Amino acid sequence: MKNTIIWLSGVIIVLAACHKADTPANNDFDTLTANVLSDFPVFVAIPQYGDLYSKASDFETSVQALVASPTTDKLLAARQAWRDMRSIWEKSEGYLFGPVEDDEYDPQMDTWPVDYVQMDSLLASSNPLSVSDIQALSTLSLRGFHPAEYILWGKDGNRQAATLTDREKLYLQSLTTDLKNICKNLSDSWNPSAGNFAQNLTNAGKPGSVYATKQEAYLAITEAMIGICEEVGEGKMEEPYAAMDSAIVESPFSGNSITDFRNNIIGLENVYLGKWTSDGKGINEVVAEKNISLDNALRSKITAAVNSFDAITLPYEQAIFDQRTQIKNTQNALAALKDALENDLKPFLVQNVKD
Amino acid sequence: MWVAVLVCAPGVFMMCNKPGDFAEENFDPRLSGGAATAFDATSKSFSHMIEGMKAWDEHIHELGDGQFEQSFVTAPAPVNSGLGAIFNNVSCISCHHNDGKGTPTAGAVNSSLLIRISLPGQDEHGGPVAVPGFGLQLQDVSVFGKQPEARVNISYTESTFTFPDGVQVNLRKPDYALTNPYLPLPAGYMLSPRMAPPVFGLGLIEAIPESTILSFADENDADGDGISGRPNYVWNGYTQKMELGRFGLKANAPSLQIQVAGAYQQDMGITSYVFSNESSVGQGQGDGYADDPEIPDSIMNSVVFYVRTLAVPARRNVTDVAIMAGEKIFTQINCSGCHKPTLYTGVNTNLPTLSNQRIHPYTDLLLHDMGEGLADGRPDFTANGQEWRTMALWGIGLFPKTNGTAFYLHDGRARTLEEAILWHGGEAEKSREKFVQLTTTERNSLISFLKSL
Repeated sequence: MKNTIIWLSGVIIVLAACHKADTPANNDFDTLTANVLSDFPVFVAIPQYGDLYSKASDFETSVQALVASPTTDKLLAARQAWRDMRSIWEKSEGYLFGPVEDDEYDPQMDTWPVDYVQMDSLLASSNPLSVSDIQALSTLSLRGFHPAEYILWGKDGNRQAATLTDREKLYLQSLTTDLKNICKNLSDSWNPSAGNFAQNLTNAGKPGSVYATKQEAYLAITEAMIGICEEVGEGKMEEPYAAMDSAIVESPFSGNSITDFRNNIIGLENVYLGKWTSDGKGINEVVAEKNISLDNALRSKITAAVNSFDAITLPYEQAIFDQRTQIKNTQNALAALKDALENDLKPFLVQNVKD
Repeated sequence: MWVAVLVCAPGVFMMCNKPGDFAEENFDPRLSGGAATAFDATSKSFSHMIEGMKAWDEHIHELGDGQFEQSFVTAPAPVNSGLGAIFNNVSCISCHHNDGKGTPTAGAVNSSLLIRISLPGQDEHGGPVAVPGFGLQLQDVSVFGKQPEARVNISYTESTFTFPDGVQVNLRKPDYALTNPYLPLPAGYMLSPRMAPPVFGLGLIEAIPESTILSFADENDADGDGISGRPNYVWNGYTQKMELGRFGLKANAPSLQIQVAGAYQQDMGITSYVFSNESSVGQGQGDGYADDPEIPDSIMNSVVFYVRTLAVPARRNVTDVAIMAGEKIFTQINCSGCHKPTLYTGVNTNLPTLSNQRIHPYTDLLLHDMGEGLADGRPDFTANGQEWRTMALWGIGLFPKTNGTAFYLHDGRARTLEEAILWHGGEAEKSREKFVQLTTTERNSLISFLKSL
């Protein structure tokens, strides 16, 4: 009798295990993978690009105030407004896919280096320097963050409000309006009420989305995280470090480079977690659902990379000479993160995210 | 005698166990670039480094990658000095968006189209005749304060084509007009529009033996199939020799070095050890600065190495039934007559990933008369005014990803693959006709197949 019960239990257990795997658990996972995609525009891209536009507006206002009254504290306020806007932009570089790359909003805002010779010719000319004149210039090196940075800080970071020329003030005002317009276009491009790029994520795998499957959308987001990780570690940090040349550091005028680099990786973290000012569902939840140790490993590598910047205390232009070990440590942390994204997260997503 | 038997015996056994060919169906159809294939179908699919390189070579690739994305500025400048003063765009990446094609406009900051120019006749090497004051390429952008050679105005003539099943396709034919030339233009000048092509897989293309390319040639159509591909022999200004051309839309560049150095000089106004004179020398728009060559040899070489070592994106959905049917149709209607599916690269001991690889570029690298509709009317060495080099089709399904919007053909006139095929004339006329006569299902299968490349 006892044996029969054991035998019967065994059969029942086997039968239960053989029951086809289309259980509620799998449907929940499918729902989760879809929700993470639709949360991305709602919690990350749209609010963040909205904040970027708002800070661009504030920057324009701060420069108008500076032009009206060129005092030191107005100059410092304009510099801070530049930094505040820059911070949001750098974080948004965690997801450089979609209109920001397809419609070239990135190079419109963030081309580097500045073209000093052309700028001097432009300022010495009788060009009216209105916003439409700025937009008609033949190269993007004369538009965006960096010409504005150059005028606000000067080559050595010691620009004085009193020495701003009328031409520079006119040019600077138009630069800020141009930046604001670009940020408006970028913000509109994702917004459901305008360009609605968001629907490509919400409807991934359905007709009308550029992503033929949900997996494609996940891989596009992941490739963007890998991209910024590589760009910071192997590009923005590596090139001046290897050449020991401070002239090729980006954002050289404001001394803002390390803040920028760290913000890039914080942006990556926000993408992984699906958050900006509020926390939506992110890729982390998809990972944790099936492989908690992978999620833990990714989070700790991201945190390690972000925190490693704390050790670089000098401006990057000096750190490449005097804090090379600390720079190397950060690069190693970034390389470890990139490796995990490439060789652990990507295969996980290919394996698990199905339509 | 026993010794002879003992010696011969292994030979007998080996003959009995002769190794068969590796069966076709055992090859992985996703590996368009053989070992030099990257599995990525995102906007970054053209941007991956080939695997299996030594650490130093990877470093050079990354250096070249960084350089490819650098914006140049007017000389003198501490960084990236030497732009123009006349040019088409400021960086390689501006035209080769995500290492692929870009947008068919000219003269704007995101334009990917440039215009070649020449006068009738041939120079001492059989090549195009430069227009005095303009050269062989128009630079339609300039730095502030200088005047570009001319501006380019692009207009389109629209037409509609209706398939037998009633499906309509909108076609547009571009016309190029020059405005505001800085000098009067001589009569009879010829123009040829060139969209920036993708830059991946070039090391594999480079590694195809000349004998392979020449084996496809059939200049007099001896086999009577309507196709008469022929090679383009061009002058290499660096080696000072006539060589087989294989890069560029009319196969007018014989090597990656010439292609890259030529682009630096003509498209951006950057001089190097290969072409150390500004394109504007003798014209009024020089940057007036004695800084040539503007980039060091090592940088120039790193960019050549970069494009040599970019991987080919893997095919997608290869087991889809419609796509497999489309692949058969591709051969049945003889698209494969010029767009050759399978080639083998030669041996390269420095880069094993490119060496002796079975690849699927879908090109024979030969010139073909494509008919009046696509003709530019401008000869380029052996290529006449109706001939174009067969474009590689690998990666074509990813153009919408790498550029947001896809544009096909040498001038970007086609927005869909159907449009591109409908423009095929001349030697491709027979295949085009068969395409038009396909059933709806067959046509859709063929297009799906192309999108899987």
